[in-house]
Amino acid sequence: MAHIVFNGLLAALFIFLFVRAGSYPSSMWEPLGSGTFPRLVLGMLVLFNVMIVVQETRHFLRASPLPAKACRAWIWRHRLMFGVLLLFALLVFAVPTLGFRWSSLVFLFVTQVLLGARHWKSLLIAGVIAVAFSFGVEIVFREVFLISLPRGLLD
Amino acid sequence: MMESILAGADQIFSVPTLLTMLLGTIAGIIAAAIPGFTITMAIILTLPLTFGMPPLQGVATMLAVYVGGYTGGLVSAALLGIPGTPSSVATTFDAFPMARRGEPGRALAIGIWASFCGALISTVVLIIAAPPLALIAVKLGPWEYFSLIVFAMTIVASVAGKSMLRGLMAGMLGLLIATVGPDPIMGVPRFTFDTYLLEAGLPFLVVLIGIFAVSQLLSEVEDVDQVKQGEALITGKIVFRPLKVLREILAYPINLIRSSLIGVLVGAVPGAGGSIANLVCYDYAKRGSRTPEKFGTGTPEGIVASESGNSATSGGGLIPMIALGIPGSAVDAILMASLMVHGIGVGPRLIVDHADLVYGMFMAMAIAAMMVLVICLSSMRLFLGVTKVPKSVIVPVVLVLCLIGAFALTQRIADLYLLLGIGIFGYILSKLNYPLAPVVLGAILGPIGESNLRRALMTNEDWTLFFTRPISLVLLVLAVLSIAFSVRSHYRQRHVTRSSG
Repeated sequence: MAHIVFNGLLAALFIFLFVRAGSYPSSMWEPLGSGTFPRLVLGMLVLFNVMIVVQETRHFLRASPLPAKACRAWIWRHRLMFGVLLLFALLVFAVPTLGFRWSSLVFLFVTQVLLGARHWKSLLIAGVIAVAFSFGVEIVFREVFLISLPRGLLD
Repeated sequence: MMESILAGADQIFSVPTLLTMLLGTIAGIIAAAIPGFTITMAIILTLPLTFGMPPLQGVATMLAVYVGGYTGGLVSAALLGIPGTPSSVATTFDAFPMARRGEPGRALAIGIWASFCGALISTVVLIIAAPPLALIAVKLGPWEYFSLIVFAMTIVASVAGKSMLRGLMAGMLGLLIATVGPDPIMGVPRFTFDTYLLEAGLPFLVVLIGIFAVSQLLSEVEDVDQVKQGEALITGKIVFRPLKVLREILAYPINLIRSSLIGVLVGAVPGAGGSIANLVCYDYAKRGSRTPEKFGTGTPEGIVASESGNSATSGGGLIPMIALGIPGSAVDAILMASLMVHGIGVGPRLIVDHADLVYGMFMAMAIAAMMVLVICLSSMRLFLGVTKVPKSVIVPVVLVLCLIGAFALTQRIADLYLLLGIGIFGYILSKLNYPLAPVVLGAILGPIGESNLRRALMTNEDWTLFFTRPISLVLLVLAVLSIAFSVRSHYRQRHVTRSSG
């Protein structure tokens, strides 16, 4: 079912992009315009989407139905992954505001706690790692590689 | 000639040059082991440091970073399943499964030896065949380039995994990703929707890190019980026997030599490089193997092909640069820049006017390869320490390094948002069993293919030239044969699986 939904959504997006690519300008110097190559690719993608939907619909009709709570159970089983993803998303959005050093410090410590650092010894190690790979890495990049990582309100 | 060789040797075998080369090699290995930190970036950062050095010392130091970088990419590819650089994408296919089943030392040792052999073979070819090979490479027009890209895209069929259809779709997705942003000929913005986020397109590096690294790291923390018990990425006892592994590698001499020669050839074609060579070599090794079904499960043949192939491009890329003054890749362009900073004109007269420099560069390549070998073999136990670190530590640390890798090249905040989006997309693709390698292959080859197709038709609107120019025709015929071969072996494999199941 996931394949059918995924490919159905992608096909709709690709058809929209295909139409949009038709409006890109062409030049008098070349027979192909800016939109020709993307349209070629998008056309083939829609074709593949349709083929996969047909293939998967056949499988879906033959397969036995999943238990009622299967989807909820899958999400619960993957709760750690969703937690890490959420924290990573927060990190990405926090970097421009708080700066790299502070946002990565918090991310590194909280993620390690989420993934199992609970006792005082592992919390201490988590703290050291968080400082080394946030403040420490920032210094290395600034001083050695001459790359300044994003700065924010707290810098 | 002998005088020039001795003059070059005199400069190369001086203490300051050997010392800066050693530092360059270490820096290259470490930089390339960080996902997203490419060899190009490492070379760019080294360039200003070489301004104060004599020309040959400067170039030799940069060559050391270059050669070290090709091996460094292997470390994260084998131990984390994340290609440290685009040149080690194919290394993840077999080195990571081998490390995962408890043989990380063997995976790394195979990669190190294969890299060394590849770099050494490419240096020998560079010395012998630089002028004739370069002449062939520059004769290629846009028709041949486009046909070359079509041929390279047929590799998708080989890395497609169980479903050819999904593999083809993933390859097309990569091509589509490459079309976002300014078009390569006219600069017209495509699919950017007037947003800052997409105005520069989807940078290849961000796509690579998002698709491979972020999705792989998210997969690592799926199993709650494993993570909570503090399980490491790779379990089992670590054994590191480099000499035993060397014998194992020498058991595949054809694979080793063929992959190295392909690496040299791909490297000599301007615009191509290690990122394409590793996949082409892997593809050929799989086709030529007696046990192709073992590819992707941790076979030494796959690691040997990818690592010897990508290391061999370092010598190949120097061929057109030295003989004709045309850089084979971005890295070669930076090497050229470093010579020009010192007032040395790069072109066909380079080998005539500065023979000592050219022979010195040849020697620097060989010395750098040996330095990489010694450093890697002696410090590999340190690298292997990574495998003992629990997932709860390694996952957040590598995620932060991925963030830095995506930001560092262009220093655009928008790339961080793209990294998140592409990472989630890559995770969905991997959960739905779509192979990820074709996406990256499409994203690499897309812009080269499109610009050469359009350039060819701008020069002459006649489509038939793709079939009437001999080299172009040969490449297209090879592409058709390659697809036919892949489809045949795919169905044969499925037939065997069905009958045994």
